[in-house]
Amino acid sequence: MSKVRAKEYQVRIDHALATPKLQDALHKFGDAFLLAREKAFSHYDFEALRQEIADCKDEVAAHRQQYLDQFITNAEAAGAIVYLAKTAADANQYIADLARTKGVKLVTKSKSMASEETHLNQALESAGVRALETDLGEWIIQLAGQRPSHMVMPAIHMFKEEVAELFSKETGSEEPAEIEHLVQVAREQLRQGYLDADMGITGANIAVAETGGIALVTNEGNARLVSTLPKIHVALLGIEKIVPTLEDAATIIRTLPKNATGQLLTSYITWIRGAVPCGDDDKELHLVLLDNGRSALAESPQCRDALRCIKCGACANVCPVYQTVGGHVFGHVYIGAIGIILTAFFHGLDKAAEIVRACIGCRACVTVCPSNIDLENIILSLRETIGHEEGIGVGKSIVFRKVMRNRKLFHSLIRAASLLQKPVTGGNRTIRHLPLFFSSLTEWRTLPAIAEKSLRDQWSKIPQKIEKPRYKVALFGGCANDFLYPELGIDLIKVMNKLDVEVSYPLDQNCCGVPALYSGDKETAVALAEQNITAMLKDDPDFVLTTCPTCTMALQRDFVEFLKDNPVWAAKAEHLAEITVDAAGFIVNQLGAAEVFKGLSAAEKVTYHDSCHLKRGAGVWKEPRELLTTSGRELVEMEHADRCCGFGGSYSLTSHPDISKQILGDKVKDIEKSGATCVAMDCPGCMMQLRGGLEKQEIDVRAMHTIQLLAESLE
Amino acid sequence: MQEEKLVTAFSEAARAVGAEVSIVAGVEAVVDYVKQLATGSVIVPDFASAKRLDLVPTLVAAGVTLVQDDLRQGAATAAVGVTGANFAFAATGTVVLESTSEDIRLATTLPEHHVVLLDPAKILEDDLAAVPYLRTFHQNSPRNYLAYITGPSRTADIERVLTIGVHGPKQLHILLFSGLSDNPLEM
Repeated sequence: MSKVRAKEYQVRIDHALATPKLQDALHKFGDAFLLAREKAFSHYDFEALRQEIADCKDEVAAHRQQYLDQFITNAEAAGAIVYLAKTAADANQYIADLARTKGVKLVTKSKSMASEETHLNQALESAGVRALETDLGEWIIQLAGQRPSHMVMPAIHMFKEEVAELFSKETGSEEPAEIEHLVQVAREQLRQGYLDADMGITGANIAVAETGGIALVTNEGNARLVSTLPKIHVALLGIEKIVPTLEDAATIIRTLPKNATGQLLTSYITWIRGAVPCGDDDKELHLVLLDNGRSALAESPQCRDALRCIKCGACANVCPVYQTVGGHVFGHVYIGAIGIILTAFFHGLDKAAEIVRACIGCRACVTVCPSNIDLENIILSLRETIGHEEGIGVGKSIVFRKVMRNRKLFHSLIRAASLLQKPVTGGNRTIRHLPLFFSSLTEWRTLPAIAEKSLRDQWSKIPQKIEKPRYKVALFGGCANDFLYPELGIDLIKVMNKLDVEVSYPLDQNCCGVPALYSGDKETAVALAEQNITAMLKDDPDFVLTTCPTCTMALQRDFVEFLKDNPVWAAKAEHLAEITVDAAGFIVNQLGAAEVFKGLSAAEKVTYHDSCHLKRGAGVWKEPRELLTTSGRELVEMEHADRCCGFGGSYSLTSHPDISKQILGDKVKDIEKSGATCVAMDCPGCMMQLRGGLEKQEIDVRAMHTIQLLAESLE
Repeated sequence: MQEEKLVTAFSEAARAVGAEVSIVAGVEAVVDYVKQLATGSVIVPDFASAKRLDLVPTLVAAGVTLVQDDLRQGAATAAVGVTGANFAFAATGTVVLESTSEDIRLATTLPEHHVVLLDPAKILEDDLAAVPYLRTFHQNSPRNYLAYITGPSRTADIERVLTIGVHGPKQLHILLFSGLSDNPLEM
């Protein structure tokens, strides 16, 4: 790991966290975006649309050369000059040379992320050509000398006062900070540019192989001016923009504006094919098709789905990390979750190394992606690649490789730690302050102490009152349930026994491996998968129950993925995945037994926090709510119930505690605002985070696992 | 009946994105509408239904100043551009203009007002219904510049506040004119 790079990154985080105004704006934007988006899609089937886009893009990726050839042949037949640029420098060189040869002094540009990717403006400047950005947001950041902080709204990080200051410098008179006025200033200032420019540069949202034409999706009308008035039109576009037919293009156009800005359609869709008339002559149209890492991305089995991206920016809009630090931290040129991946391939692994770790893994982006890209999964595989290239750090390496893989050693170290922690816990279950350089960890939340007796160490002594069990299930406890919250396991037995289910605890089970995987150590994660499969299947249980949704995802998804090509393990991994189910889902779906708890509880006001991996991983969110309301509790929904709590395992402890703290702060506010006296959830990680935040702020709301609340109902 | 439904849906969708939608009967009504908007000159490129209506001579007779020879220069200072539409679709309130002729583009990008004459018989259901016509345009001509226009020019680039009229027309006026043309391939 590069220390200088990590330090610079931390400086950017600190700077962003010190700008609450930006955070506030991005939070409000995220809320407004979701509402507008939902409304825009109200008459459309988003799932079907995104599958269509994914299929279309996959088809093109699988037959890249064929569609590229078809597009080029048709474009050339229509009079376009096509140039295939292997690298960013190659594309810039071509365009700068063209400008020089044609005696171009001024270029007007409409918005193009591809030109941001290649840093085209600098290349033109070096060639003595002035490039004038005409998209309002792009012009603002050009005047400010910055880079975009969002793919669709490049200047989303700036406020009207800052824009007024920039515009005042440009016009030489005092421009008031009124948005309508500033927009008018831009209109007037940029108008002459279109008429004077010798060359217009645009990007393209789509390239249609069937016609050899491109399509531009825009709102301001500048792309129409840029592609009409100057004599030469250069369109710079990535080769991944190619789709086979006009129908495919229509599907993207139907989806993109709705998912980007919540508009049914943007003001303008412009279809351009070939050298159209320009003045008394024909236009000179150059299509610069940019590879710059795209072919390499297409060849990466783990990452290639990222090429499906249609650049809507939604993955950033809904991302709690983006909302907390903005695109100048959480991105390079391309921002947000997709930005991490594209940066690695377009700008190099080094530029992506820090932001790869900034993803908290909440999967909010995955649910809104219009191309059905599993962004989180790709980011994890990049983490692994970087882990290989740069190492994951000596400390982590020892913990994962030497300790965790050796279950007995791992567990005896935890037992030892439970004794050693006495000086800080004072025998309490909660750690409120840690000494010395650990103190920052308990500044903003308390931490649970390691239990005096783990669940595994007391299991054999817990009585199970059951005569004829309906099912025999094995509990996969996970580290938190086992060592931090053993009482949760005891409650699970109580609840399951009530439902005629007998629970066992296979003692050879180990950590699910997610902490290692998230840190880029897949090797350890795979070793742990094998250990756990053996342990959990040993007594052939009917089901394997989980109380932690991150473990659930490991058992249901990751183990299968790791071992699918391994003939010894593949079938076992699949069997384990099939019988693994989270406890709340098991009660409602497998047992159909919610009614057992009917009216057993007092009418406590409860709000429910959706854990990321339970809702967006396992697809479980209705079931715990049904259990809570059936049991007689009053469910009051908080705002942003399914927004991440900021835990993310080592994310909150070591890699990004300061971002985690902010995200937790948001969640605690929402909980408090709901008026509930208890917040329920189905994840011990979230419980540790929320309990810690609520306790530290001395807010009188209990943070409880749904299973604990059900056990209370039985008392 | 079907047409009536489409006209209603189209008008609602177009108004929802800030377009003005009016029903006009006869070329005089068009001239009145344009005259009332025209604080300066008016640009009317060549298009089939304008010719049939004698739109240009009627505007001139009504005292409207038209941009004549150099449309490129004239469009930059014109107050109003008047065009037809090839067809429209209701779902999003969109008008479709075959804009390969540069004059159509000048009239629809530079002036502050864009007036579109549309025969309501040419309103299709949605963007998917538009694709076959899009394909025909591509087949009929070797080069194309086709435009979907949905409301006036807009931006939300400063503090995400929706603001109308940044680089393109500040107002889009759609005049529904029955009997103008029933051919989606002509304007």
